[in-house]
Amino acid sequence: MRDARVKLVTTLAVYSIKGGVGKTTTAVNLAYLAAAEGLRTLVWDLDPQGAASFFFRIKPKVKGGGKALLRDQGALDAAIKGTDFERLDLLPADFSYRHLDLRLGQSDKPRRQLERLLKPLRREYDLLLLDCPPGISTLSENVFAVADALLVPLIPSTLSIRTLEQLDAFLREKMPRRAPQLLPFFSMVDETKALHRTIMQDAPRQDLQILQSPIPEIDEIERMGLHRMPITAYAASEMAVGSYRALWREVKLVLSGEW
Amino acid sequence: MTDIASIEATVESFYKMRQTNSGTAELLVPSGLELHALIDAIDELIPAVREPDVTLSRRFFDSFDWRLFVAGVSLEWRFSESSASPYTAMSLFEDAQPARSTLCWRDLSESDAEPILQPLESEPGLLDEMPAGPVRERLAPLLEMRRLLPMVEVISQQTLVRLLNEDEKTVVRLVVEQNHFREPNAGRHGNLMCRLRLLSVRGYAEAFEQARLVLEKRLGLSVLDEPLAQEPLAQEALLAAGHRPGAYSTKLDQQLEPDQRADLATKQILRGLLETLEANLEGTRQNLDSEFLHDLRVATRRTRSALSQIKGVFPEALVVDFKQRFAWLQQITGPVRDLDVYLLDFPDMERRLPPALRSDLKPLHEQLVRLHAEAQRQLSQALGSAAFDSLLRDWHRFLDAEMPVSKAPTAEAVDLHPRARQAHPSHGPLPSDAELPGQALLPKQAAVPIKQVADQRIRKMLKRVRAEGRAITEDSPPEALHELRKSCKKLRYLMEFFQSLYPRDQIREQIKQTKLLLDNLGRFQDTAVQAQHLREHAESSVNASAGTSANAGANASAKPSVTSASTNASKNGLPPGTLLAMGALIGQLLNDQASARATFSDVFAAFDSAENAKRFKTLFATHDLCASAESARDKCGMPE
Ligand SMILES: Nc1ncnc2c1ncn2[C@@H]1O[C@H](COP(=O)(O)OP(=O)(O)OP(=O)(O)O)[C@@H](O)[C@H]1O
Ligand SMILES: [Mg+2]
Repeated sequence: MRDARVKLVTTLAVYSIKGGVGKTTTAVNLAYLAAAEGLRTLVWDLDPQGAASFFFRIKPKVKGGGKALLRDQGALDAAIKGTDFERLDLLPADFSYRHLDLRLGQSDKPRRQLERLLKPLRREYDLLLLDCPPGISTLSENVFAVADALLVPLIPSTLSIRTLEQLDAFLREKMPRRAPQLLPFFSMVDETKALHRTIMQDAPRQDLQILQSPIPEIDEIERMGLHRMPITAYAASEMAVGSYRALWREVKLVLSGEW
Repeated sequence: MTDIASIEATVESFYKMRQTNSGTAELLVPSGLELHALIDAIDELIPAVREPDVTLSRRFFDSFDWRLFVAGVSLEWRFSESSASPYTAMSLFEDAQPARSTLCWRDLSESDAEPILQPLESEPGLLDEMPAGPVRERLAPLLEMRRLLPMVEVISQQTLVRLLNEDEKTVVRLVVEQNHFREPNAGRHGNLMCRLRLLSVRGYAEAFEQARLVLEKRLGLSVLDEPLAQEPLAQEALLAAGHRPGAYSTKLDQQLEPDQRADLATKQILRGLLETLEANLEGTRQNLDSEFLHDLRVATRRTRSALSQIKGVFPEALVVDFKQRFAWLQQITGPVRDLDVYLLDFPDMERRLPPALRSDLKPLHEQLVRLHAEAQRQLSQALGSAAFDSLLRDWHRFLDAEMPVSKAPTAEAVDLHPRARQAHPSHGPLPSDAELPGQALLPKQAAVPIKQVADQRIRKMLKRVRAEGRAITEDSPPEALHELRKSCKKLRYLMEFFQSLYPRDQIREQIKQTKLLLDNLGRFQDTAVQAQHLREHAESSVNASAGTSANAGANASAKPSVTSASTNASKNGLPPGTLLAMGALIGQLLNDQASARATFSDVFAAFDSAENAKRFKTLFATHDLCASAESARDKCGMPE
């Protein structure tokens, strides 16, 4: 155990250009596991649809909306809600986040706004986890600027591999020195599909460093919406819980090896 | 819903009150209120989910002399019977295995500070046995050589209730804690107050207020103004278990009255010392830590000093007898104490050596540990002996006996148990029974006001210290400083015995001045003794390995020492590297001794200064006119 109170606050973003690939599902489960281990964790639900907020039964509503958050720290502090789980808090989504891009674009340092907002939170939390909406935008550039690593769920397909390569190229070009580390992993994997198997077998040959802990496609995971909480918290499926745990362990391992 | 994780979380939140969880309220649960009924009543007003109960045990630790309590710290060792274990990870990169048991340090002066946690699998004891970690790090400067002892165990059955909103989201947490205490040694146990705590969830302040209102207004529970923190729980349990936290002290704080009869006042002082001696007996027998024996020896030394320095208050034969028997006690406790000091100083001795030589001392350390174990065994035996038993019994009987009011033979002198005295091994020639009654007339100073005796004794000892100190020159032998130290100690003890008779600040100042001189003399003496021990140890080791037992006898010093026990052990041969390292150490120690010697004249001059002399004089001049015991009784109206 680390002796002194050396704090290494980590910022992780679950991000992909594509929608519906398992970002939110991954974000809430990893957040739960981290908090259960003792990390003071904050999830920021950046998606105006508010799926992460939904999983924690928290209303996707921020007083004053995204505008207020960008304007003063007090609004951000007041917006944070405790979840049902100790050490795990959430900054809820708000429908107004759909204009966030516009607002970010209007500020003087459009790509550094998120960084500015998150800075004071690093004193309160050990882990900041951002659940991003799909797509590439000023908001995602803000995310790239603040995140230590991007967790990128990939549904095994040739297209998704290509998109990942594009993202990699984009980051190398735009942020040659301070690009976040890419942590792609296979999501919603169906072993019965030949295509999934082929893609996953080929992956190591490419230079993409895809994590070795895939998340299988499981009905129980889909039913998380009925329970409205991370599946890792109520443990309906051993396989589901096991694969999220394995993924979390690998993420920690890779990050600690890296630094 | 069974949600283990959220139970764990709630249990944890009970300890870890975060700033973000600002709202907490503690309510008194009237005794006799049925827990089920209470929760049902709440549920009727606010949807509530009761989680499975969690049982948690905490053992509160402190040193025998309450060092943590005095420093405003509470230390508990938590172990839980269910899966509700606290987690300790603080960054992504830590091994976040939940510890089954955890040591928890709480700074009570900062009520909202987070506790410091360190996983610890077995009960804490001595610092040396504890793995490195944040709690150990904080304990080290406070605890030093003392052992942590389990003072009381609190077993908490926690019922966790979550209050929900319309989305069935937890918006307030409620913890009912039924506490039970158990005293680990005497086995005393019983119930403590039932506590109900309302914990807010961040961002749901309204729900918290609402819940508080429901509990207060609708269910009639009363909210405590100040939430009872952990401190009162620990204290409540300690008191219930019969402890008096912070009560142990080796300070001589007997409250004497200036016109109290000298014999009664002296008995009062001696009774206090006996209490200290007995309090440390069990810890010494078991060798819980080295301070028990140390305190026991200090109490013994003070007892002897009081017996010989407060002259003429008890029958002489009695004093002679007890002085001898306490000298015996001092002597049998000597070897272990010598080895304790040796071992306690060991890290310091190692540091004196260049790093390359340090590991050479290891065989010496191992040998000392072996010798210590043997000496401790003998000590425990001696403390279990009939001689020691009868010493305590006779001493109690003497101290509790009523004092004679006239010049009649004293009861206790006649009462003295002859058999007990014979059982005493190192007992000198006994005064014959025929002599006793004659000597047992009310002693000369017995009925004199204690203040007068005190003034007189202190003045006399001060005079002696001055004379001895002034006689010391650059060329004086070490024995002269040794003698001065003994007189100086007597002076210090006398002032301490009688400090309640003098203005507090003034007497403390004079004790302090005396201590400064004593420190200098102590440094001189202690380094000399350390060097002497090392030398004897080396010599006996060489003799042992050469098999020349005849020589060993010649080398043993007259007074019993550490080495006398080692001469008969065959495995005493120390490797040459160790002997060389010891030689290097002796050189260092002698240098230190020389530097203490060099500063002596300055230190003594400060003690012997005109200002200090004036302060002594104003403090210890006897102001009343009673010059002798007789006139004291006449003029001061003492009972005849
Ligand atoms: N491992 C899985 N097995 C089965 N279903 C899954 C799995 N992971 C996610 N799903 C389901 O897939 C859908 C999309 O998942 P999720 O919302 O996590 O993706 P997303 O990338 O966050 O979507 P969006 O881009 O809309 O934010 C959800 O209905 C979810 O229940
Ligand atoms: Mg999503």
